[in-house]
Amino acid sequence: MRSIQRRLSLGLVSVLLIVGLLLAQSSLWLFDRSLRGYLQTTLQDETQTLLGAVVRGPNGLQLDERRLSAAYKRPYSGLYFRIDLSEQSWRSRSLWDRELHTVEAEGLKDALGDGPQGQQWLVYRADYQRYGQPIVIHVARDYRPILDSFSQVQKVILGLGVSALVLILLLQRLIVSRALRPLEQVRRQLLQLQQGQRSQLDQQVPLELEPLVAQINHLLAHTEDTLKRSRNALGNLGHALKTPLAVLVSLATREELKQLPQLRESLNSQLQQIEQRIARELGRARLAGEALPGAHFDCASELPELFSTLTMIHGNHLQLEWQAEPGLRLPWDREDLLELLGNLLDNACKWADSQVQLHICKVTAGYQLTIDDDGPGIDVTLRDEVLSRGSRLDEQVAGHGLGLGIVRDIVDAWGGSLQLAESPLDGLRVTVSLPLKRT
Amino acid sequence: MRLLLVEDHVPLADELLAGLIRQGYAVDWLADGRDAAYQGATEPYDLIILDLGLPGKPGIEVLQEWRSGGLTTPVLILTARGSWAERIEGLKAGADDYMSKPFHPEELHLRIQSLLRRAHGLANQPQLEAAGLQLDEGRQSVQRNGEEVQLTAAEFRLLRYFMLHAGQLLSKSHLAEHLYDGESERDSNVIEVHVNHLRRKLGREIIETRRGQGYRFSGDTA
Repeated sequence: MRSIQRRLSLGLVSVLLIVGLLLAQSSLWLFDRSLRGYLQTTLQDETQTLLGAVVRGPNGLQLDERRLSAAYKRPYSGLYFRIDLSEQSWRSRSLWDRELHTVEAEGLKDALGDGPQGQQWLVYRADYQRYGQPIVIHVARDYRPILDSFSQVQKVILGLGVSALVLILLLQRLIVSRALRPLEQVRRQLLQLQQGQRSQLDQQVPLELEPLVAQINHLLAHTEDTLKRSRNALGNLGHALKTPLAVLVSLATREELKQLPQLRESLNSQLQQIEQRIARELGRARLAGEALPGAHFDCASELPELFSTLTMIHGNHLQLEWQAEPGLRLPWDREDLLELLGNLLDNACKWADSQVQLHICKVTAGYQLTIDDDGPGIDVTLRDEVLSRGSRLDEQVAGHGLGLGIVRDIVDAWGGSLQLAESPLDGLRVTVSLPLKRT
Repeated sequence: MRLLLVEDHVPLADELLAGLIRQGYAVDWLADGRDAAYQGATEPYDLIILDLGLPGKPGIEVLQEWRSGGLTTPVLILTARGSWAERIEGLKAGADDYMSKPFHPEELHLRIQSLLRRAHGLANQPQLEAAGLQLDEGRQSVQRNGEEVQLTAAEFRLLRYFMLHAGQLLSKSHLAEHLYDGESERDSNVIEVHVNHLRRKLGREIIETRRGQGYRFSGDTA
């Protein structure tokens, strides 16, 4: 997933890098230019001084040593000259064993020349006409210290630039995370919604997010409302179908029909089929499934009521117990879960001798619901058959198989699984494994 | 035993009435929630069968109203709304049992019998037993020392009421209120006649007469 924060940082870093490098490099270049221009004039002055040192002596032209600056006498001092007359040429003592090569054109040479001890020479040539002959003077100056200070400046600029970049990035992170905090809050709330820890998003959000949050809340309310309405409609439909069915079932037990056992038998079986089909289809249609993200089932508040209902139905002779972590909330619709647990526990109560236990625990992959009873249990060989019974709608299912059918529908809708095993209480253990919802 | 049936679907109510009367119950029938809320609280019923989808007032509200008014009569909810969430809601509102439609009449009768036994503190009996007598409510006969005694419908109704209220002093008018529905003529002499029939069949000592107070069913507890 791409994060806005990372994209902003990346954009900012690249823009700052490009601009910063361009700026630093071009200012260095400009500085270098102007410095060379300045040095050119000093070198030009130097050639004029040297020209002045060329005097006519007893043996023709000669160089007046006294007029030369001391730097020309110290070897590798950083200042050099070479004076070429028509038939002789002089070189400064500072050159020592090196040669100052001539350059073709007058003026400052663009490229730096290599000198001794890693020196980089800036070479200037000036042509003069004196005493009736051409005098070509080359002056060289070591540019190396300036280059060194340039690279030092470059390093300092780089260091400053990097620390400025880091500072800017940190500030940007701070600003962006501050600006995006409402977004992060909405993201966290959506996660909570998915886990069933809340049923609405907070309305207190910045203007930009308001339509989004309002729309999500509206959708949630709408889904919940639709579910409620469709459940209500299904209830009405069930009422409308089941009440006449109850009349028919009652009529089928009439004395008059006892004379016609075959007719009564087929009447009963058809009525039973209708009844089961209606119960199953209505049960299926009632399922919220995963439609409601905010749905949740609060174990501590729902289970006691379910268990007191079961006690009321099955009497006090059963010891019913449930165990769940304190404050455990399952992220599924309350009615669906009640239907699932109600049917499974009801079955367990029907078969149990004295004890029924429910354990709900969170496991890594989701939740596990375990129902134990101390009844006769189901033989290993028959377990698969019991599980597959009622998995198809058109199958005729008897008594408690129907309850299991609805349980299967619910578990399937949630992508879970159902297993039968032997219980430590000697009866049957039904284990329902429910995976966490995809977020 | 006097029951109140609240059911708005007339054919079903007819069926239920016929079945319940065959079972020896005196039944009053109402179809409207508002009437039920009033009459259930004022008449001395032994048990109420309540549908939830009623015109006038929803069954759940009627039940809540009764319970908040202190009515302790056992209530059996009979409804097409059979989901567990609705069941829990019904029992939370104060119902004692819950049956979803469609149902077998026999099952309803068994539930009514067991609810009545439970309401009178005789919870763990498969059959109504009191004072050495065992009442077979399906066959409307009584067993005494392993020997079966046949009863007429009226005797059965009276004996069942006595057995559910063993050891209690019951006046003739109280018996008449609980054995006849709201529309029957109540003649306390008729009760006297049936008490005498029961004494003749099961022994004099089984029902004790307290002059000016009424009857007390004790049986041969000794």
